[in-house]
Amino acid sequence: MIDRKNAPAPEKNISFKLPSIKQFALNNKLQVSFIRKENLPIVQIGFIISAGSKYDASGKKGLSNLTSMLIDEGAGEFSALELDNEFEMLGSILSVSTDHDSIFISLLTLKENLDRSLYLLSRIITSPQFNNEDFEREQKKAISKIIQYQDEPSYIASIAFDNLLCKNTPYAFPAFGYERTVSAITNNDIINFFAEYFTVDNSLVIAVGDIYEIEIKELLEKHFSGWNKYNSSTYGIFPPKNDSQKLYLINKEGAAQSEIRIGHTAKGRKSPDYFETLIMNSVLGGQFTSRINLNLREKKGFTYGASSSFNYNKEFGLFEVETAVHTQNTGESVAQILKELDNIRNGITYEEFEFAKSSLIKRYPLMFETNSQLAKNMALLYLFGLPDDYFDSYIPRIENSTLGQIIAAANENVHPDKATILIVGDKNSVLRQLKELSLPPAIETDIYGNVIQFLN
Amino acid sequence: MKDLLNLEYNKFRLDNGLEVVLYKSTNLPIAAVNIWYKTGSANEKKGKTGFAHLFEHMMFQGSKNVPKEMHFRYIQEAGGTLNGSTSLDRTNYYETVPSNYLEMALWLESDRMGFLLPALTQEKLDNQKDVVMNERRQRYENQPYGLAWEKLFANLYPENHPYHWPTIGWMDDIEKFELKDVSDFFKTYYAPNNASLVIGGDFATDKAIELVNNYFGGIPGNIDIPPVEQSKPALAKPKKIIVPDNIQLPRIYFAWHSDEIFGPDDAKLDILSEILTSSKNSRLHKTLVFDKQIAQDVTSFQYSGKLSGSFIISATAKPGYNLDEIKKNIFETIDNIAQNGITPIELQRARNGVKSTFVYSLQNLDKLVNQINYYNTYLGNPNYFKEDLLRYESVTTDDIKQVVNTYLKNNFIELHFIPKR
Repeated sequence: MIDRKNAPAPEKNISFKLPSIKQFALNNKLQVSFIRKENLPIVQIGFIISAGSKYDASGKKGLSNLTSMLIDEGAGEFSALELDNEFEMLGSILSVSTDHDSIFISLLTLKENLDRSLYLLSRIITSPQFNNEDFEREQKKAISKIIQYQDEPSYIASIAFDNLLCKNTPYAFPAFGYERTVSAITNNDIINFFAEYFTVDNSLVIAVGDIYEIEIKELLEKHFSGWNKYNSSTYGIFPPKNDSQKLYLINKEGAAQSEIRIGHTAKGRKSPDYFETLIMNSVLGGQFTSRINLNLREKKGFTYGASSSFNYNKEFGLFEVETAVHTQNTGESVAQILKELDNIRNGITYEEFEFAKSSLIKRYPLMFETNSQLAKNMALLYLFGLPDDYFDSYIPRIENSTLGQIIAAANENVHPDKATILIVGDKNSVLRQLKELSLPPAIETDIYGNVIQFLN
Repeated sequence: MKDLLNLEYNKFRLDNGLEVVLYKSTNLPIAAVNIWYKTGSANEKKGKTGFAHLFEHMMFQGSKNVPKEMHFRYIQEAGGTLNGSTSLDRTNYYETVPSNYLEMALWLESDRMGFLLPALTQEKLDNQKDVVMNERRQRYENQPYGLAWEKLFANLYPENHPYHWPTIGWMDDIEKFELKDVSDFFKTYYAPNNASLVIGGDFATDKAIELVNNYFGGIPGNIDIPPVEQSKPALAKPKKIIVPDNIQLPRIYFAWHSDEIFGPDDAKLDILSEILTSSKNSRLHKTLVFDKQIAQDVTSFQYSGKLSGSFIISATAKPGYNLDEIKKNIFETIDNIAQNGITPIELQRARNGVKSTFVYSLQNLDKLVNQINYYNTYLGNPNYFKEDLLRYESVTTDDIKQVVNTYLKNNFIELHFIPKR
């Protein structure tokens, strides 16, 4: 008979060898970061270009994103449809995305089609066509997409919250831009943006897959050695201070749920207590079994899920609690979240600390499974300028942390008294509930963060 | 390349009827445990919809030897990931853990298969009812176009058909879940002979067999699992439904009855959907989004289950354009394929995409093991990858013309989502 009463102990420890990252430069100085992974005949290529939406001119927010939409709408000798057909025939998958800091171009291909796929990619990176006709079509598409997103309460909450937290910085604006700002963009703006930011010294190539270093180097030389545009973009901004508690409301009449965001700006990704903050947040709201989710979901049943996270832009971080709750529970949910933020500053048990550490340490091998996970990890090192031995030091950094440091990290990085609270939901019902709490008077805004009225 | 898709595995059946498949892969020191119960929303009855999905919640609420919340805690403390999902015909549960925690994962899965009921309480049920109602609000009611899916299916399938209601259930039914119904549903369907267990990753085969026998062997089967009634639905006449929603851009949906999962036309319909909407060059995308620019997006899919399939097309209007114009273009495209078929280039493009996608999908153990279980559950053959690819590679241009004529010329549901006044 087996013992069902107790959880079986793990077998002896597993051994896991971190794949080694090779860095090299092409003759034109283009930087490459490479991992050989041989279990499947596929190769993943990533291009990171420091050309995210923080470089958008004011009044033209959405420029970086629209540029990223246009680079593969015709490039080199191929029209938009021809280029798409080329990739489809190879079974290669190209995708382009933008965030505040960078444009990411990702290519997944069978190894047998790598040469041709890289050729097509080189057309996109170095010689997009930027025809007026393509520009007009994609501009309209971008505007319609924004209109569509604005129907989603969670999207509204997210962009409005960024706006409230990051006031007066380029991070205050959504990467997609707004209807008005995208309408103001011209094809010339795109051409100039591309010329300024799509340069060798603004880019990193990531390669992961079933290929030797010498082969990938040769192929990249073949397709990218002729690229010789140089201009590196630099940036420095000060994180805005969120120094007092504020309450904002965006009205969605009759909404079935309220979207809630609570948080403030935070230190950057390279802050010395990053790992302590990671462990602390794992206790607070980073996992299913974290305090916030257990309280709001498993105890109260107010929501399908609630979480907290530290999100990092290149320049600074944001601490954010997010959830969607039944309208009638909005007030109590806000109160419970603020209580959890207070509580974490007042104490974490040794058991919680050990649990969070164990979870983060043992998850380690699972972070290196797919080609795209490996590529993302390499991108992380580049984006935040983390040391080469970052992943080697990951486990020891967590293992060596102490409970005292974790509690200190909570006090240093979680500030309910300075938090901005945003609710997107039915105004009348929500206001009635918020009056029961001792919060600052609510300010009603539109989705752009403009004040509509002060409520009392 | 083809040999990549030929997996080595062990398959056996315990005396209680549990099917077990072992697939070894030593790329990483991890193990994936994946179990499919052959029960889904199709096993529910009118007035008691949403039970199968409720189980996806209750199964994480602890069992006889696993206190509430501890199921999640054990897996997360081990650095693992876990989840579950519910569809028409099946419910699955899965976790990936470092390989030295395989036994713990099997202990957890077996405890909730064999001993869920001793730990079931009214309090847990009430709590998860609230959570599920909030899931329904968050994912459907408070989402733009969020109710489209259930409107389509409720109209495409008659009231007594098992595909008539949404997987999450109707709100009225969720509110009325009772403890006794939960326990009856569990006793009926959560039996080893109604399940398929796949273990993948880095383990010793003998040891894994021993563990499966130890943990699952003693759980009794249920000889009395009622089959889902078969009925081939047909739409006697076309239906048009208009739904005002909190949206700015109108969207149109069409739904037809189509072939069932792994039926002779199932793969052909998948390829048809590729040809209609999967890329910039696909027929409907090129016409509606690229050339005429009257639609913001267009998608299509073959959604097939054990009893029947449904073929869906939907498109969102660009500001200033109306749904009738989009409809006209969609039907011109359908008629054109019905009469003239497609070109070999179109077919090649679709097939190449499918082929490389098969290879890309092998990267992730979690997904691979789930795919093995999908094949084992529907076909009894865990290693169906090569044959499945062949299903797609053998589709011809004539086949595409044929399925358009067989299915898309029949009566259909037309659903308009329009902005609320």
